[in-house]
Amino acid sequence: MEITLLQGILLSVMAIIVGLDFFLEAFFIFRPLIVSTLTGIILGDVTLGLKVGALIELAFAGLTPAGGTQPPNPVFAGLMGTVLAYTTGCAPEAALGLCLPFSFLGQYVILFFYSAFSFFMGKADKAAAEGDTKTIRNINFTTMAIVSLSYGLLAFLCAYLAQQPMQAFVNSLPAVFTHGLEVAGGILPAVGFGMLLRVMMKAKYIPYFIAGFLMACFIDMPNLLPVALLGTIFALIDFFGAKQRKEDLDEALQNMNVDGFGGDSNVGI
Amino acid sequence: MSESKKLTKRDITNLGIRSSFLQASFNYERMQACGFTYAMIPALKKVYGDDKEKLAGAMTDNLEFINTHPNLVGFLMGLMMSLEEGGATREAIKGLKLALFGPIAGIGDAIFWFTILPIVAGISCSFASQGSILGPIIFFLTYVVIWVLRIVWTHLGYNLGTKSIDIITENSDKIANAATILGITVIGALIASYVSINLLPVITVDGGIEVAVQTEFFDRIFPNMLPMAVTLLCFYLLKKKQINPIVLILGIIVLSIAGAAIGLL
Repeated sequence: MEITLLQGILLSVMAIIVGLDFFLEAFFIFRPLIVSTLTGIILGDVTLGLKVGALIELAFAGLTPAGGTQPPNPVFAGLMGTVLAYTTGCAPEAALGLCLPFSFLGQYVILFFYSAFSFFMGKADKAAAEGDTKTIRNINFTTMAIVSLSYGLLAFLCAYLAQQPMQAFVNSLPAVFTHGLEVAGGILPAVGFGMLLRVMMKAKYIPYFIAGFLMACFIDMPNLLPVALLGTIFALIDFFGAKQRKEDLDEALQNMNVDGFGGDSNVGI
Repeated sequence: MSESKKLTKRDITNLGIRSSFLQASFNYERMQACGFTYAMIPALKKVYGDDKEKLAGAMTDNLEFINTHPNLVGFLMGLMMSLEEGGATREAIKGLKLALFGPIAGIGDAIFWFTILPIVAGISCSFASQGSILGPIIFFLTYVVIWVLRIVWTHLGYNLGTKSIDIITENSDKIANAATILGITVIGALIASYVSINLLPVITVDGGIEVAVQTEFFDRIFPNMLPMAVTLLCFYLLKKKQINPIVLILGIIVLSIAGAAIGLL
C-alpha cells in the first residue's frame, strides 16, 4: 500500500503535536499505543494501528525517561511501526523490529537538543536578573518550536518520502529474516520489563511478583484489571501496616520516656 | 492585621495548567529550570506587582537547576507560591525547592512511570490487540484525568503551605513502597501475558512417538516458563552486568533471526 501526499502531511502534523507532547510529558498522547492508532486512522486501517500499537506499547513499557535518561523514541516507534506494516504488509511483530532504527534515530535527535538547549541558559540568566519575563517566554517557545518542527520534518521524510526505498528494502529481506523479526517481536517486551525490574525489584517484593505471575498463568482473565486490583490490595495492606508500625513505635518510645523519668535509680543495677 | 491574599483560586488553577510547560526548554545544564520559571511567571508577577527587583530575585532563584516529576511539580509550585506570597526569605524558598524536588521526583517515578504506565498499558493493550478501539480510548482518558489532577496537586501544595513539607518527608517512602508493590504485581502478570516464545522442534522419541518441545514439554512443566526465564535474564544483564538496553534489544533480534534460521524458533 502507498502513502499519499495528503496522508504524509497529516502524519507530519500528527508528529508535530505528539512529538511536542513527548518533550513536555503532558497528555501522554506520545505513547506508541496512541501514535499507532492515530497513524492507523490517517492511513485508513485502524485495526492495523491498534494491533501494531499494542505490541509496540508493551515492548516500550519499560523504556521510560524516568530519572532524566532519554529512552528509544516512542513517537517514531509507533509511527514507523504502523507505516511499515501498512506499506510493506509485514506482520505487526516484524514491524516492531523494523521500527527500532527510527526509534533510535529519534532518541539521538532528542539527546542532541538536550545538549544544544543548554546554550539558551546564559540568555535566560540575564533575562531573569533584569526581571524580563518576555525573553523567558521566547526561549521556551523557541525550543518548543524547534522540537515540534523537527518531529514534523523527520516524520514526513521517513513516512512519505522514503517509503519506496523502504518498501523495496523490506521486500528484499529473506523470509528467515522477517520470521526472525516476528520472533524477536514476541521476546522484546522482556527487555522493557527487565528495565522496570532493574529499578523496582528488591528482595521484599519477590512474593508480589510471583503472585502476579501465577495469577496471569492460571486464571483466565479478559484483561489485566483483576491483577491490578489484587496489587492494590497488597499495596494497601503494606501501607496500613507501615502506618501501624510507626504508631506502635511512637507509642513505645513515649512509654519508655515516661518510665525513664521515675526509674532512673533502677538503671544499671 | 493580616495582609490580604494576592493570589486567587483562579491563579493557582492557572499555575497548575502552566506546569505543563515544565520541560519546554529541557536541557542538560539546568534540566527543567527555564520551563519551571516560565510556568511560575504570572503568579510571581501577581505577587510582586511593579517591584521589578523582587520579581528578578524570584526569577533568578527559579532558574536554578531542578529535575522533578512533571505530573507532581504543581504541588511544589503551589507550595513555593504560598511562601512567596507570605513573604518568606529567598533563602527559605530556595532551600525548600532544593529539599523537595528530589523526593517528589522519586514518588512521581514510582507512581507514574513504574506503576500506572505498566498497568494502564497492560489493560488498554489487551483491548487494542483484539482490535478494539476501547484500548487507546481508555489509555487517553486515564491520562487526561492524570493531567487534570495536576491542578489538584497545585491547590493542595498552595493550601497546605509549609505543612506539606512534613507530609512529604514522612510519607514519601510509604507511598513509593506501596506503589512499587502494585507495580511489581502487575509486571509479574505482564510477563506471563505479553512475552511470548514458541519453540518449534518436534522430537521423535523411541517407538515413533512425537513430542512437541513447546506444547508437550515446557508448557506441561510450567506455562510461561521461558518468558519468565528470558525476562529474568534481561533483568540480570541490565542490573548486574550494566548492559545497555539497546545492546540487549539488538542481541535479541540477532539471536531470534539465528534461531529462526536453524528452525528452533
